[in-house]
Amino acid sequence: MIKENLLRKKKSKNEEKNSNGETIIKMTHVKKAFGDLVVLKDINLEVKKGEVLVVLGPSGSGKSTLIRCINRLEKIDEGEIFVEGKDIYSEDMNVHQLRTKVGMVFQQFNLFPHMRVIDNIMLSPIIVKKISKNKAKHTAMEFLAKVGLEDKYNSYPHELSGGQQQRVAIARALAMNPDVMLFDEVTSALDPELVKGVLETMKELAKMGMTMIVVTHEMGFAKEVADRVIFMDEGYILEENEPKELFENPQNPRTKSFISKIL
Amino acid sequence: MAGLGFEFDLFVKILPELLRGASITVQLTAFSVAIGTLIGLFMGMARISNYKIFSVPSAVYVEFIRGTPLLVQIMIVYYGLPALGLNLDQYTSGILALSINSGAYIAEIFKAGIKSIKKGQTEASISLGLNYMQTMRYVILPQATRNILPALGNEFIALLKDSSLVSVIAISELLRRGMIVYSRTYDAWTPLLGVALIYLCITIPLSRAVQYLEKRWEIHD
Repeated sequence: MIKENLLRKKKSKNEEKNSNGETIIKMTHVKKAFGDLVVLKDINLEVKKGEVLVVLGPSGSGKSTLIRCINRLEKIDEGEIFVEGKDIYSEDMNVHQLRTKVGMVFQQFNLFPHMRVIDNIMLSPIIVKKISKNKAKHTAMEFLAKVGLEDKYNSYPHELSGGQQQRVAIARALAMNPDVMLFDEVTSALDPELVKGVLETMKELAKMGMTMIVVTHEMGFAKEVADRVIFMDEGYILEENEPKELFENPQNPRTKSFISKIL
Repeated sequence: MAGLGFEFDLFVKILPELLRGASITVQLTAFSVAIGTLIGLFMGMARISNYKIFSVPSAVYVEFIRGTPLLVQIMIVYYGLPALGLNLDQYTSGILALSINSGAYIAEIFKAGIKSIKKGQTEASISLGLNYMQTMRYVILPQATRNILPALGNEFIALLKDSSLVSVIAISELLRRGMIVYSRTYDAWTPLLGVALIYLCITIPLSRAVQYLEKRWEIHD
């Protein structure tokens, strides 16, 4: 008994150490097509626990599809994806359980408009994790405080600004206590003055050691927060590096031209 | 008030009788819409299912019901089913026929309502770990139902009028009562106009109520 406990402690200590921990997501030779359009051609990618990975690339390069494959919102045609060492297409994989471990935030927020903010956040913990209402409410309020919106718990989504809605969406995903968070162009639908608040929330999250895969056009965020940046085009990962290197010294000509256009 | 041959005195005299019929009409309609809504909910969900085992029977049901006259359906249930050994009394037959009929129209309403909810809602829900049925129950249907309430209200009104057809199987609803008065008094004009008036007295406030709901329940997203 005592030994087991010690082991567990050791393990959790390891987990707390960011970045250089174990691999949490691994994709090998992933291919995905929509009809005749091949969106992902041969994707190989590893993400370590605690790492913040930013995915860059022109529109239509397959960035969103890439992260949507990780929680099986899209089904891949070939290759394998492992999350925490488990093949997500294996027969004994429970897709709903997978999705409780992989939180996702969307470009269009997708809050449930008929529910108050607090109910948006409590829904899945109560329904899926079967947590008691009181406890779920308590946790929901904690996460709302984390994104700076505890006073909005009783509002309906349409009463909030886009930026506030997106922060609620982040709190909603966090309330499931996920091991990885996927961000799919979460600031692209926001008015410029609202972007900062959302990015601040994401920075906080990165500081806390959350594993994050972020599809974004926000170069400032990538430079400041990312541990690693990958550049995608036409269904391939063309280049990956630390943000400083990738921005200042891109190797691939297409990366070069993309960076020169956006910086 | 004897203008155009309308016998007001007769109308007042037969009014209690007609109102008893109206009460039956409203009851028939309410039962049928309630059962029809249940049928419609499941058939509507089945219709948009990815599984043919659900979508095909639902499509056949909707096509059959919408492609044949309600009068024929009523007669099949009342006169036809006994051939299969199923003897139902008039009221049960009437409610059954009206329910099955409205179920098909309501299925189409639910189908449209569910489809009107943006895909992002489903994606957000399943990405939080909810399964298909949970997503339907907690996320999609509450929004869809709000969107389709006016259409459901209109269906209720349409069925209320169509329920006059069950008079052919001798259910003493509103129209049948009017016809009984006609055969007793040999005056068709007064009782039938009276029947029409009573229908109007029910349908006009109802459609106003639907319009009110339509405005009030506008969803924000």
